[in-house]
Amino acid sequence: MENGANRDLIRSRHHYNKEGEMPDYDVIVIGAGNGGLTASASLAKRGAKVLLLERHNLPGGCATSFIRGRFEFEVALHQLSGLGTPEHPGPLRGLLGQLDVLDKIEFTEEDTLYRTMIPGEFEVTLKANRTEIIAALKEKFPDEADAIDKFFDLVWEFCLQMVSIFFMKDRDASREKYPTYCKYAIKSSKEVLDDYFKSPFLKLAIASYWGYIGLPPSRLTFTDMAMLLWAYTEFKPFHIKGGSQALSNAILDTFIKAGGHPRFSCGAKKIVVSDGKVNGVITETGEEITCNYVVSNASTISTYMEMLDEEYVPDDKLKMLGSRSVGPSGFTVYCGLDCEPQDLGIDVSTQFISLNADIEQQFATWRTFDRPEMCGMSCYDVADPDFSPAGACQVAIINLQFADHWLTIPPSQYAEAKYRYAQDLLDIVEKVYPGFGDALEEVDVSSPITHLRYLGHPGGGFYGFEKFAKDSNLFIPPTSGIEGLYFAGAWAGMAGFQPTLDSGVSAAKAIYRKMNE
Amino acid sequence: MTKEDIRQQIEGYAEIQAEIEVLRKYAHDRRADRGTVERVINLLHPKELNLTVSEIIDETPSTKTLRLTPADGYLPPFQAGQYINIFVTLAGIRSSRPYSMASSPAQTAYYDVTVRRVENGFVSNYLLDEVTVGDSFVTTSPAGLFYYNPLFHGKHLVFLAGGSGITPFMSMVREVTDRGLDRNITLIYGSRDPEDIIFKDELEERAERHGNFTFIPVISEPPPSYSGHRGFITAELMEKLLGDMKDRMIYVCGPEEMYRFCLPELDKLGVPKKRVRQEVFGPPGNVTEEAGWPSEVSGDTAFEVKIRGGETIPARADEPLMISLERAGITIPTSCRSGECSLCRTKLLTGEVFQPRGAKVRKSDRQFGYIHACMAYPLTNLEILL
Repeated sequence: MENGANRDLIRSRHHYNKEGEMPDYDVIVIGAGNGGLTASASLAKRGAKVLLLERHNLPGGCATSFIRGRFEFEVALHQLSGLGTPEHPGPLRGLLGQLDVLDKIEFTEEDTLYRTMIPGEFEVTLKANRTEIIAALKEKFPDEADAIDKFFDLVWEFCLQMVSIFFMKDRDASREKYPTYCKYAIKSSKEVLDDYFKSPFLKLAIASYWGYIGLPPSRLTFTDMAMLLWAYTEFKPFHIKGGSQALSNAILDTFIKAGGHPRFSCGAKKIVVSDGKVNGVITETGEEITCNYVVSNASTISTYMEMLDEEYVPDDKLKMLGSRSVGPSGFTVYCGLDCEPQDLGIDVSTQFISLNADIEQQFATWRTFDRPEMCGMSCYDVADPDFSPAGACQVAIINLQFADHWLTIPPSQYAEAKYRYAQDLLDIVEKVYPGFGDALEEVDVSSPITHLRYLGHPGGGFYGFEKFAKDSNLFIPPTSGIEGLYFAGAWAGMAGFQPTLDSGVSAAKAIYRKMNE
Repeated sequence: MTKEDIRQQIEGYAEIQAEIEVLRKYAHDRRADRGTVERVINLLHPKELNLTVSEIIDETPSTKTLRLTPADGYLPPFQAGQYINIFVTLAGIRSSRPYSMASSPAQTAYYDVTVRRVENGFVSNYLLDEVTVGDSFVTTSPAGLFYYNPLFHGKHLVFLAGGSGITPFMSMVREVTDRGLDRNITLIYGSRDPEDIIFKDELEERAERHGNFTFIPVISEPPPSYSGHRGFITAELMEKLLGDMKDRMIYVCGPEEMYRFCLPELDKLGVPKKRVRQEVFGPPGNVTEEAGWPSEVSGDTAFEVKIRGGETIPARADEPLMISLERAGITIPTSCRSGECSLCRTKLLTGEVFQPRGAKVRKSDRQFGYIHACMAYPLTNLEILL
């Protein structure tokens, strides 16, 4: 599609409000995270008059970076899903193409999903290729070769059924037509893993992406586990040259070029509603700006509880918010090393290092200051040697953490608690890569409180609510209950880069459908 | 809808619906949590502080300490070495300057900032000459990256201080000695003459009482009778005082000239770059002398800066854009004023700026035309987006 040539412009560009006055904007988007950015850019490209408010001084939300010494640390992106190659494009490639960002930034493909290891006991590396994954697992677990074949048949069959139902939107979808989907969709991953496999190491290897959803196999739906494995294998994991900040900057660039107005260091305080319909936004400086639609990329909790006057919060939404639990935040140690990855023997981008095969127990430590029993480790320079300066590389060591116990520390002891937990994570990595500590040139740390501060989300939850089966879009209606109010981001759907980028485009589509009614 | 049709046919669907009903019945009332996020942020990183001068302490003939206490009774913790950015309005211009806390982080009843007179110091001379007990300021909350990080700094620390660059070190020395922390500190402090040594008595006393703290003043223009170390902090002197530099972390803080002198001296000793921590020190004194400055642009060239959707303001080539904005009455967020914190990140729509090497601008920010206004100098007329 030629840029701009085939725009489906919004027919009635401005809607008048009840006093017959033209509002300042068609749409105000609150928050420039992934969802807020794609919502803004989509709407502006289609001709809507859009104001994007962001209380921080730069776009991205989680999708950002910060500089320490000669390193620019990637904050949040570990592996971008759904992009696919130009020859075999995934849904995200289409989305980013429509937002004109594909020619603004470059992506680097990773050939490996991950390496899972228990130091001294077990390790396996899974390439981003079904045949090779199966071969690698069979080599380690020859006794379970048969089950491995059957399991991957199940995963692929399940995911293809899911694609037909939800992405191809099969109108005749039924249990008879899609029995595998209907049987497994909300089963727990643990149940399926236990059905198929005996070795706890094998189960650990297959379920290693559990941290990307934030739930252990007993609570993780089979849908989530299967889709992660299938999508990363089919569309490959990617990263971005310049990190996720480059993506945020690129989408914002599209927004500005399409005539959109971004306003940074300016948060939204209130959403103004009159006659049950969104009417505008009051900024933190007290300025009232009128509009017909609001997309909130803030958490649904703060949108309903802080930005809307109580009389406008529908009772069922209040119950919905109270019946759901805030998901995990995270703890990351950002390491700048004065050596190349290979000098330490780091040869894959993504690793999951566990001290045992008990994921349920590892998950339990997320609510405590106990020594972590696992960590994810991303070294971006393996796939992209330009990521850090020559002769240097960066590694992010992450373990998820809920915020609650962090909120109990007196402020004066916060720094010490942060360092202690960071040291525990460094100790895990040191077991696998002796000399890692000596190579450190820059180190900084983010905790759940850091995420709470920069995102403004309750509990610093960067995945939004916990992602139990009951929290999936099978059960939660996507509507806000208030005319003109839409949501984008992890609180209103799935978490992660691809889903949140997608959520903004969905919100934009819903709005311009409404504008054209 | 398709989804509606098939979802009820999923195994276990009805059970989960029943679970949802129960959870809604016993739902937590989220109204009770209102304000929690803001409260948590305000305990650690409030957006701004309102501070009152409770005491002014004369340190040396050219230096005073302002003791700042909170208007609302609470100060957030900081890490020894961090600074606050103090906002002032002088001659109708709203500007700010960062000052490191010199007091120990072991208490947060007050923050001490120690100010030395500098030639033509727009803010420092005001703080020294005009400010009296009871005056109030708005400041940022503590920020900055010049502090001890136990994850990789080790236990043997060498502080190289020059002039008023002693202030962050004073906080670190106070913390380590007061709390009895397991770190060894050697402070080498360069001053022009013995009269200029800020915190001299206290440093000597702490060195005497604590075996893990050594204080070595170095005087560049000593009186004839002076018996201590003379001259500058050279490689030779450091070698003599410190011996083997292995496993030491060197921290440097002082005036611009000190970095120009001391960093090459550390190179001579073979100290790897990763074992040297430097505090940022604001924009260069004369930007036209910086490497890479285009010689065809004279420092006093006047350019115009158009702010999209707003006015057009004048801007001198040799002044950071942030100062030109402040002169025009436009304040943008800022904390370090040294190109590091990125709070003043601004979109450059057209035109060209010079950014000295110290400006820490993200890779993709360079690609998409963002600049740090505190360390960006116009080389042409500009259009910016605030």
